[in-house]
Amino acid sequence: MKSTRYALAGLGVFLGLLLVVTGGTDRALAHKEKHTPEQLKAFEDVFMEQVKIGDLLFHGDGATEKRLNVTLSKTGMACAMCHPFGSDNHPYEFPKFQEQMNKFATLRDMINWCIEKPNEGVKIDPDSDAMKALETYIYWSNKGSKLDPGRH
Amino acid sequence: MDDHDRLECLREESRAAWWKKIGSSAEMAGLRHEMDKELKQPGEHPDPSLGITRRTFLHKSLLTAGVAAGAATYGWFPLINTLDLAYGAEAFRFAWVSDSHLYPKTVNTRFVDKVTRAFKDVQAMSPPADFLIYGGDLAQLGDPVELDLGADLLKEVKIRKVFIPGEHDWYLDMGAKWTKLFGPSNWTFDHKGVRFVGLDTVSRGPDYWTAKKMTPKERMGHMATLDGSVAGAWAGVGRDQLEWLNRTLAPWPRNKPVVIFTHNPLYEYYPPWNFWVRDWREVHEVVKPFTNVTNVHGHTHQVLYNEVGKMRSIGMLATSWTWPYAPEGVPALTKCKVRVDPGDPFDGVGWSRLTVTAAERVENEYVMWRKDIIAEAPWDSGCADNINQVLSPRIADREWPYYGAYK
Ligand SMILES: [Fe+2]
Ligand SMILES: [Fe+2]
Repeated sequence: MKSTRYALAGLGVFLGLLLVVTGGTDRALAHKEKHTPEQLKAFEDVFMEQVKIGDLLFHGDGATEKRLNVTLSKTGMACAMCHPFGSDNHPYEFPKFQEQMNKFATLRDMINWCIEKPNEGVKIDPDSDAMKALETYIYWSNKGSKLDPGRH
Repeated sequence: MDDHDRLECLREESRAAWWKKIGSSAEMAGLRHEMDKELKQPGEHPDPSLGITRRTFLHKSLLTAGVAAGAATYGWFPLINTLDLAYGAEAFRFAWVSDSHLYPKTVNTRFVDKVTRAFKDVQAMSPPADFLIYGGDLAQLGDPVELDLGADLLKEVKIRKVFIPGEHDWYLDMGAKWTKLFGPSNWTFDHKGVRFVGLDTVSRGPDYWTAKKMTPKERMGHMATLDGSVAGAWAGVGRDQLEWLNRTLAPWPRNKPVVIFTHNPLYEYYPPWNFWVRDWREVHEVVKPFTNVTNVHGHTHQVLYNEVGKMRSIGMLATSWTWPYAPEGVPALTKCKVRVDPGDPFDGVGWSRLTVTAAERVENEYVMWRKDIIAEAPWDSGCADNINQVLSPRIADREWPYYGAYK
């Protein structure tokens, strides 16, 4: 057991050195050092940047929609008008069977359903920057909620 | 114990849990209790004629759950659909419609369809209503086009109409167009033994626009954002109007019914969304001598019921869209509305029919265009559904000086 671990660690060191030596620009950014406060701050900044973009989209900011080339609503309604503070989104319940769609759905499916149905907007690419930002804002605004996947 | 009983037990437990969770934050409960004590002197109780009964959905377990939440201290319980109170009045009915949030017709036809349906319902009432109160937020962005559209749609209703403004009607031109169409923003009249008062709770917002050099459109935009705090604690009655209310009620017999129409609720429900009136305590001071006061309000777009002192408040539905219950502060006396279908524009919205019967009772009936309005089981309830939910206020709200100033 122990020897396997040493062997694996050895392999890791070897691969790491190989990467450093080959110096590939797209090499994996594995970390070997303890994290510095600066690093943690940088990680958080990346996240909060997405929260802010998502907040703008969620509140119907036209400029941000234009920049990301999405049309989230054509009724004048924005997501936040039915979901102030991101309430009643229940991101912590996904994935689950979603009655309106009559299928097993992810949060991204649900976001797109809301864009298309109540908002009469144009569905967005589930892997798009706009989707990631919306998802980030919805999760952030429900931070601390109890994870309860599948709950109706 | 059979399966049915077991299921009931389970429901009972989860009900108790969710009432505890949503009933009130400790702080809010404490505040309400304190107000209640202050407003009801020893031995003083609401007029016995205010015995409130639920005509539908009455279930013993709900009553017990109410007691568990520590709010129902008089041994009488909230209406859900129906409010009965007795007084010596002639029979009559009136209707409430509000919060249609009209955009120009070219942008959104759904809101037009929904308020039109409500107006047609009101006009079709038989026997007819004596009057319609339109409770504010006729327009979405205060645009004259929107207000004109609303005034035009209101022509569907031929009976007497009275109006109070909502914040969405007001903050583009500071009420100029609204006042031109609908007259003074506060008023009073007596009708068959009831003193009706319309209060303006929207026009006295703090000046949040001059220093920031906002355009009228920007000013309106901030006011129209429910979960934004730039407009601050804008809902208020104001010193001048409080004095007017005091003068208006002074000659009225203490035990005779008073009905106060406001756009915003006359208690502190959830200030971060402006679900309150900032000087609500002062309003209660003014009505303190009266034993039969009913406040009917809009703005919250949901089923709500509360009692503070000797005043009861009933929250009305919107015709446009419904709002989720706030994460805290839902009055323990409220039986929450059902979770509605977001795919059906006509679900979760509606209007209210209020009747004073020949037996001298007033009934409030929500008209929601669906069978069940109030949830029984937690999984169907707009409140219980949020039992796992913890919310974060928006980042922008944490930076604005008003944040934290709500309390
Ligand atoms: Fe409204
Ligand atoms: Fe409002």
